[in-house]
Amino acid sequence: MTAREKETFVGNLLKIELEEKKDTINISWSGKSVDREPGKFITPILVNAIRRSSGLNKKIILDFRKLDYMNSSSITPVIKILERAKRGRTQIGVVYKKSLKWQDLSFSALEIFKTKDGRVEIKGL
Amino acid sequence: MERSLKVLVEPAWDEIEKARNTSSDFLNAHGLSNDAVHALTMVVSELIENSVKYGKFAAPESKVVVTIDIEESMISVEVVNPVDETAYKHLKNLDRTIQWIRGHQDPFEAYIERLREVSKRPLDDKESGLGLVRISYEGRSILDFFLGENDLLSVSAISHY
Repeated sequence: MTAREKETFVGNLLKIELEEKKDTINISWSGKSVDREPGKFITPILVNAIRRSSGLNKKIILDFRKLDYMNSSSITPVIKILERAKRGRTQIGVVYKKSLKWQDLSFSALEIFKTKDGRVEIKGL
Repeated sequence: MERSLKVLVEPAWDEIEKARNTSSDFLNAHGLSNDAVHALTMVVSELIENSVKYGKFAAPESKVVVTIDIEESMISVEVVNPVDETAYKHLKNLDRTIQWIRGHQDPFEAYIERLREVSKRPLDDKESGLGLVRISYEGRSILDFFLGENDLLSVSAISHY
């Protein structure tokens, strides 16, 4: 992928769009994540993005604002990535829509992965 | 308007989305807020997912039976599926998890504890382990289960909206 290029991944009802910008790699989620084993689709996308971000020193932004629903199995790959980012050097931000109650409940709980230096951030907008 | 909805779901993963939509339409029709509809649909969905994963549907006519009852001050969701002796390990886990959630004053604490634990598992670990505690926390529901006659497992979630 060249700089500022956009890549789209579709797995069943879930769409993940990855866009590389000057300082960030934006990963936008939309639709519904309802697969039985969503990690098979989600994890490689996130792992590859982390590899690329570390090489380029860019921050990853996981933007869930357009996501309509995710089953609990879809939360798992996200929190595993956040836990590893917390322990490593990856810069990663989670953005969610605070006005949606389910997003607020689901994603505000991820504040346990925040780091004091702001390297891992969780933001409700 | 009917205060109760019964849905028979084929024990196949792709059928869950249809049941979610049917449940969501039913709850919307009763004037519940979008937030409540979303939370309860999540509850229905997580319970059916468990049914499809752990149920034993040997007979071709076997189905997951979902019932939603809207009462004066509470809403109950019940999901019933057949099991056999191979599911007993799952039943033990179910019992342990429900007791563990009840042992927390606030389901949020249980949810956070489970998030921490699951996040440390290997990336390729397939178990989520978040479904029931999410029902309790995000779905604001009290969980219970019993194994009835003919090895029918009933899991229920009761909430006040």
